Amino acid sequence: MNRLLLASTFAATFALPALAAPFTCPSRGGDIVFGQEANVNSLDQMTSSTISTRNIAMNMYESLMTRDENNRPILELAESMEEAPDGLRYTFRLRQGVTFHNGKPLTSADVAASFNRYNRIGLQRSTLDNVAGWDTPDPRTFVIRMKQVQPTFIEALSSFSVPIVVIPSEHENDDRQQLRAVGTGPFRLLEFVPGSHARLGRYDGYSPNTAFEQRTGFGGYRVACVDTVTFRIVTEASARVAGLETGALQAVEDVPTRSLETLRRNSAITILPLQNWWIQIALPNTAHGPTANLAFRRAVQAALGMEDIMDAATDGNYRLNVGFQYPNQPSYTDAGRETYNINDPARARTLLRESGYRNEPIIILTNRDYPPMYNAALVMQQQMRAVGINANLRVVDWPTSVQMSQRVNSDEWHIFHSGWGTQPALGALATMQFLVAPGANYRPRDDKDDPDVLAAWNRMNNEREPAARQAAFADMQRLVLERAYAYPFGALTKVQAVRSNVQGYVPFRIPRFSNVWITR
Amino acid sequence: MFGVLARRLLSALPVLLIVSLISFGLMRLIPGDPAAAIAGIAATPAQIEQLRQDLGLDEPLWMQLVHYYEGLARGDLGRSLLLGKGVFAATMERLPVTIALSLYALVFTLIIGIASGIIAALKQNTWIDQAAMMFAMIGISVPNFFLGLLMIILFAVHLGWLPSGGYVPFSESPVGWLRSMTMPAFSLALLQAGLLARITRSSMLEVLRQDYIRTAKAKGLPQRRVILKHALANALIPIVTVVGIIVSLLLSGAVVTEALFSIPGMGQLLTQAVLNRDYPMVQGGLLLVTTFLVLVNITVDTLYAVLDPRVRHE
Repeated sequence: MNRLLLASTFAATFALPALAAPFTCPSRGGDIVFGQEANVNSLDQMTSSTISTRNIAMNMYESLMTRDENNRPILELAESMEEAPDGLRYTFRLRQGVTFHNGKPLTSADVAASFNRYNRIGLQRSTLDNVAGWDTPDPRTFVIRMKQVQPTFIEALSSFSVPIVVIPSEHENDDRQQLRAVGTGPFRLLEFVPGSHARLGRYDGYSPNTAFEQRTGFGGYRVACVDTVTFRIVTEASARVAGLETGALQAVEDVPTRSLETLRRNSAITILPLQNWWIQIALPNTAHGPTANLAFRRAVQAALGMEDIMDAATDGNYRLNVGFQYPNQPSYTDAGRETYNINDPARARTLLRESGYRNEPIIILTNRDYPPMYNAALVMQQQMRAVGINANLRVVDWPTSVQMSQRVNSDEWHIFHSGWGTQPALGALATMQFLVAPGANYRPRDDKDDPDVLAAWNRMNNEREPAARQAAFADMQRLVLERAYAYPFGALTKVQAVRSNVQGYVPFRIPRFSNVWITR
Repeated sequence: MFGVLARRLLSALPVLLIVSLISFGLMRLIPGDPAAAIAGIAATPAQIEQLRQDLGLDEPLWMQLVHYYEGLARGDLGRSLLLGKGVFAATMERLPVTIALSLYALVFTLIIGIASGIIAALKQNTWIDQAAMMFAMIGISVPNFFLGLLMIILFAVHLGWLPSGGYVPFSESPVGWLRSMTMPAFSLALLQAGLLARITRSSMLEVLRQDYIRTAKAKGLPQRRVILKHALANALIPIVTVVGIIVSLLLSGAVVTEALFSIPGMGQLLTQAVLNRDYPMVQGGLLLVTTFLVLVNITVDTLYAVLDPRVRHE
């Protein structure tokens, strides 16, 4: 068998030389109240794809595998994973000494029950489409049998989008969104009042993953230093800032730019930018109208100046970024960079003439629920008008814009504004699924993929060697950008802030409260 | 009296039927995909499609309507798409919070509104009258959202007297409840207090000109007794009418206040339900809120009879 000692490999990668010993809390105790911007409806991670659910639940639940600081797969509840030479079997050996919040020791039966529930109602249960079944030869061993070789299976299994969190076997039949909140994570649920708050307490029976010495990404060596963490829903940005200033909140997400100046002057507050929160993006409707014409789409591409668009979209909190991954990610590529930030009106006009465009109204579909999308659309409209395109905004709310954008062969819109957050963070494979059927975001006619794009996608999925898959991703990105199937504008930075006595807090895809402590 | 009550209760049934039909129809008229809303911005098209199937959103409209009324006939308001739990249970968790907030705000409204209205009427055309009416105008004009923000800055950030937001259940800590609800209740009350002050003033002015008030004064009754027993008692009918309206305004105004102060009430629940196209929650929630308002109106009607013997005899 080809033994993949993922845990030790990544532990070695991320162990800091000055911190050879595992992390210990410099101080213990205290309570943190986190001001969260979005409501949480359920803590059932198997059936929710929302960021607000993940924010809380990922401090409570764990999976067989998760992602590290750079979003590479690492082991979490498993101490080892072996892939059979034929690629049709994955054998996980569970860590010893792991217990659920109810005190019950973790066994492979619990993992099997979790997979059963996920396969029944998990929102991303297509992850298991190619899985023939799973076995539990002994209480510490869990085996996944595949129908066919799937080189990207581990990447999918370790996804944090809708993770297969491990729950006690007796909760297997809990209804959708009604999962009893018992996990194996460093924090356990004390109280959950939807619309108000969720309060977590330190789980004293937590067994840190000793394959690591530090927290990394969603996993690693995690320790709960504080007594409780309360996630308080504070949807109004000004109220979040006020709460932080008064000390009612110790940490907040999504600090509005208008408040940054004041907060920076306050020595009791530390501002923490969270770069690469999402890729600000617009996508053409290639099934209908002028945007079905490649020359027209390239004219739009040539007209766009990304600094102005991103500045308006983010109030200055952005980084220019080519393509669909970020430079800190292993799969980043700048393939197709010549299509990015062209900002050449003369070239745009030439391409426009070539396209035969006759001043037809172009509808830019956007929404006000996410102000960056609305602001980006406004600037895009002006830049398109400046080169002679009759661009008009259609502003609806987010659910309506998604519904409209997903209609096959729709003639209601030409360019759709969105933001891709979770998927780019998960990697190239997760991101590029936005660009293939069903529901390819550039809306090809009859939902039929561009065959070249589809071929690159298939290679991304089926090549055995990571390097070959990466090359396929670069090809796919180049094709998508050259054929102007997407206009990625840049990377949005989200600003978080904590009280200065909160130490060890590093912004990530979720607010992580393990290895975070309060100085007295 | 009981006959009046029974008739009013029966006449409420068509109101509830119409509200249920309107809420069902309006929700279906609003464009937008519940699955896209509930799945959130992080969802992929495949996840949204999966959710759509899981929630059974592909049923024809007429079948959804039949199922809705079948459920209502059984006393089942349905299951929230967003929360995954029964609409009645979800509403019962939140409605008491909103009712408590509204009643607390009503206390502020009554104290401020009636007191300033009476004083303004008694001191008609003096600076006190003008100051009271200016205060009423400010109360009516300033949006409670803006007032709430100003109060947070003053009382939470600068003075540190009250929490900037959050909710403490009364059962957990009565003092904590008072501290967490005072700012929201006051900001909610001020608008309605302005309205009530103006109504009270005009009603009192009308009554104060009546012969029986002059007679009471001529008899040498103390000023307090003339005002509280003879004048205010007779001015109460229009005031009670307005208070009934104010209760419904407070309930609807709570939507914004709850969002600002992070209070888990009915307003937040329904706002989220509308934004996320949670059809059963909106339909059931509106029906329950309407029932509550109908009961408030019946109470007001009953109070007329208590306050005014002529209504009883009619």
